[in-house]
Amino acid sequence: MFRSTSLRLAALYTAAFALSVVVLGAITLVTTRVTLSREFDARIKAETVGLAQEARKEGLSSVVEAVQERDRTPGALEYGLCGPNGEPLAGRLAPTRPPLGWSKAPIRQPGGGVESVRMMTTVLPGGARLTVGDDDDRIEALQRAVLSAFAWAFGGVVVLGALGGYGLSRSVRRRLGEMTDAAEGIIDGDLARRIPVGGADDDLDRLAASFNRTLDRIATLMESLRQVSTDIAHDLRTPLTRLRQRLESSRSLASDDERAEALSGALEDVDAILETFSALLRIAQIEGGARRFSFLPVELSSLAKSMVDDLAPSAEDAGRALSFDNGGEIWVDGDRELLAQMLVNLIDNALRHAGDRAQVRTHLVDQGAVISVCDNGPGVPSAERSRIFDRFYRLERSRSTPGSGLGLALVAAIARLHGATLDLVDRHPGIEVRATFPLSQKPRTLAFPNLQDSASSAASP
Amino acid sequence: MKLLLVEDDKEAGAYLKKALAEAGHTVDHATGGREGLLLAAGEAYDVIILDRMLPELDGLAILRTIRASGVKTPVLLLTAVGGIDDRVEGLEAGGDDYLVKPFAFVELLARVNALARRPPPQDLQATLQVADLQLDRLKRTVIRGGARIELQPREFQLLEYLMRHAGRVVTRTMLLESVWDFHFDPKTNIVETHMSRLRSKIDRGYSPELLHTVRGAGYCLREPD
Repeated sequence: MFRSTSLRLAALYTAAFALSVVVLGAITLVTTRVTLSREFDARIKAETVGLAQEARKEGLSSVVEAVQERDRTPGALEYGLCGPNGEPLAGRLAPTRPPLGWSKAPIRQPGGGVESVRMMTTVLPGGARLTVGDDDDRIEALQRAVLSAFAWAFGGVVVLGALGGYGLSRSVRRRLGEMTDAAEGIIDGDLARRIPVGGADDDLDRLAASFNRTLDRIATLMESLRQVSTDIAHDLRTPLTRLRQRLESSRSLASDDERAEALSGALEDVDAILETFSALLRIAQIEGGARRFSFLPVELSSLAKSMVDDLAPSAEDAGRALSFDNGGEIWVDGDRELLAQMLVNLIDNALRHAGDRAQVRTHLVDQGAVISVCDNGPGVPSAERSRIFDRFYRLERSRSTPGSGLGLALVAAIARLHGATLDLVDRHPGIEVRATFPLSQKPRTLAFPNLQDSASSAASP
Repeated sequence: MKLLLVEDDKEAGAYLKKALAEAGHTVDHATGGREGLLLAAGEAYDVIILDRMLPELDGLAILRTIRASGVKTPVLLLTAVGGIDDRVEGLEAGGDDYLVKPFAFVELLARVNALARRPPPQDLQATLQVADLQLDRLKRTVIRGGARIELQPREFQLLEYLMRHAGRVVTRTMLLESVWDFHFDPKTNIVETHMSRLRSKIDRGYSPELLHTVRGAGYCLREPD
């Protein structure tokens, strides 16, 4: 039972509270005793002084009357008055003949019973002795009351602490048990299992939610891994089979020339297979998400411009046009190389499979930074739109053009890594692939602030 | 050149050794990490070709050990893992270049050659010259036969890289990595296009031709023999 953390904690807290009740009780006890004694003594002294004054003014007989009067009043102090020779004159304390100064003696009560009385005896003018005392048992009684109150409190703390602790630990243990059960379930292979989250949004709920998100992430990774294995099995088998056939048939070729041709064909096949393979690995690697840790602020417009500058010449040579519409300085957090690859793939895709003109555009919108590639081709049938970012998916009309069917899958993986959304927008003619990135949150410093921009904006009317 | 090849795969090692020998190099082949470390630390080589994954002793461990003991021989790392972090790790451990398996032999050869005669800090040199072609890195001008040639920034970078490696074959991948800083293959003819534009600017109308395409390997900028 004590292997439960929560129960152990509850027991520890109960013990600590009980101990503090004991300490508090002891302090209260001592303090009441000291305070009450002082108060009693002060009262006795005051009474003595009062009666001594009366003796001086009115004479001894008046004091005798006063003492007799007070003895009849219930709840008053105890008195004793003895003559100069020690003969008792009045008061219940007189027969005990107490010594001078403070003393303590048991006194028989009129109702029977004995009480302990603390008293002070002084000599009055004229030689008579006056004793004033008070029932000491009242202090004892009060102390007993305090003690019993604290004993009850102690018992209460222990019982409530134990009950509360048990209840608390039971609820915590139940919820931890749910987590353990879920974890065990997952270990046993039930990967869809999740930890139930209560509505309280307390720390355990947040822990459960974090666990669940972790599990979701793992499930996504597993799914992507499974997908990759399936893709590899499916789409590498075809070229591997072709390669095998080529090599097989080359064994029966007679001339060296033919054999050399078959071999270089086989080599090309191998290269194509390796290319597909490394593209798949790269997608898997990007989907793993580890590169997110090395994200830096990247300026999208300058990146896009340099990509367009690099790719425009080959587009021109192929009789196609590539242009750039610069939307000004836009910063996002990302991996520059991956963003470059994303752009290359989008541009290449537009020019290879769509029209003869493509335009890259950067601009800011409310939701973030947009970089888009727009072509003037026939567009994408709406039924196929959701699939063009899948691995190995190719539109019917693109099947004859070269390509692995992985370019846009890589784009999608890079976008996901950057938290960007991809949209397809009809442009009639053509289609615009639009990636919307969250804006950079990181502080950045420009080594060379764009002086030209500020100069031109100052010059404009 | 005298090369050390540390590669545990016997078949691949034997093939590389044979091919490198055919290319005119003397090759010592170590099949284990410990043997490789002993040779690398003990003998003088022009280039060390080091596989990253080795039995006994990991390639990076060897690299760190020999670098710590003051061996400055250029090292080309071969690896089956081509992630960006692995590349950075390899270069930080003291590697000079990094080649991901599987690779074409010409790629290996070009990189070994580039490493072996890696130019002494030519970066300090303001002008590069091959035959009558001159490139001024500070003024960013190119002159051939006394006439100024206008180049786009990327073409200038390309020419600079070729001139720094004059006489040696540079592969398409080397150009992508060094000039474009692309550690991926963009699958476009970006290199070819820029190369043909560069060629038309620096070679057309001049004699002799300086920029040569080496079939199946890459490009080479060299003076006529």
